[in-house]
Amino acid sequence: MMKKQDKRTERIAIEADRSLEPSLSYKVEVTDKDGRVVQLEEGPSHSYVRQWNEILHLQAAAIYIGGGGTVKMTNGSIEGNAYYSVRSFDSNAGIGIDRSGLRVGKDSTPVSINDYALGSPITEGAGFEQLEHQLTYFTSPVVAGSTLSFTMQRSFVNHSGATISGIQEIGNYIEFTGSMTGKVALGFRDVLGSPFIIPDGGAITVTYTLKVIA
Amino acid sequence: MKRQLWYKAIVRDRNGKVLSRENRRSRSILGNWYRILYAHMAFTSTSLIHTSGVDRGAIYFGDNWKFKADANEDSIGIVIGTGIAAVSIDDYKLDSQILQGTSSGQMRHLVSTPGWPSVAGSNCDFLTSRTFLNNSGGSITVRESGIYCRVKGPTYYGYACIVRDVLATPQAVPDGGSITIDYTLRITA
Repeated sequence: MMKKQDKRTERIAIEADRSLEPSLSYKVEVTDKDGRVVQLEEGPSHSYVRQWNEILHLQAAAIYIGGGGTVKMTNGSIEGNAYYSVRSFDSNAGIGIDRSGLRVGKDSTPVSINDYALGSPITEGAGFEQLEHQLTYFTSPVVAGSTLSFTMQRSFVNHSGATISGIQEIGNYIEFTGSMTGKVALGFRDVLGSPFIIPDGGAITVTYTLKVIA
Repeated sequence: MKRQLWYKAIVRDRNGKVLSRENRRSRSILGNWYRILYAHMAFTSTSLIHTSGVDRGAIYFGDNWKFKADANEDSIGIVIGTGIAAVSIDDYKLDSQILQGTSSGQMRHLVSTPGWPSVAGSNCDFLTSRTFLNNSGGSITVRESGIYCRVKGPTYYGYACIVRDVLATPQAVPDGGSITIDYTLRITA
């Protein structure tokens, strides 16, 4: 009896695999100084990383101060007193802020579940190999049929005086709370299919769509 | 397929013997999960219908997503029911929840503490589990399960249904028996 039921549930599981998914996808677009699109890539995101589940656990289990919550931060150090808080998953980075929110970088190392930062993130500024980080912009959740989705988007403008090439990774740095507020961890990271080139005066815009289908 | 929710239902008789089990991918993280996520990521508020049926919204707040549950609590944590209505993205409660207790149609809700996420290979699994005891005096058939979490709107505290599944096979829990529901949120790099 149990064998029969297991077979049936296994088949149902396979069918469910094909149809339903909380999904994350991205779109990366480069425009020149006149706003013309010169490069574009869209695809499914390949990776939430472990810190995503760890921060969710802080919230779900209501881990208090001193409760032993550990989360590795983007600087490589371990926050050993992470706890549930009003500030968790916060990605709402402002203009000129490169410590949180969407980031771009030049590393092409495949994503690992243990990644804790971009491999080679581009920093804020108008100097050599720097990009100006714009406001992170969110659209509100929208339901269409059986799908709910929202997007987050950020543009990075190249005022460095030269082309910046080799942009090959994108990701999201999320704020959480530890011994002090404003701790930052990597939430997800993707390596792009091909390197992106941003002309001087141009910009790269990264859009992530978070979607769930019932 | 990089982020998946799985559930497992195991029914035991009064002697602990396993009578049936079901293990499959959850059909439904609901829209409310993403509404809370949006409120936190964007550090803002949004509309959200609480389990009370009233839109009291969600705003970034410390207690959001809490689904750790104490014994006898049926307003939070993993919950079960007898309803069979198809899952909808805007579900805000179970179709027909089995309440805490030992009266007819009720089950005792045990404590539920989400476990620490564990990494194995390229997976990071986050498991939460809860057992329900049937001391009602009769058999109870469980047909749906889900997760209720704490949520705060701009003004009011409440609870939100963030996961709901209709079981592929109704699970009959005999008097004196139990059902254990496990949910595992897996991310794969």
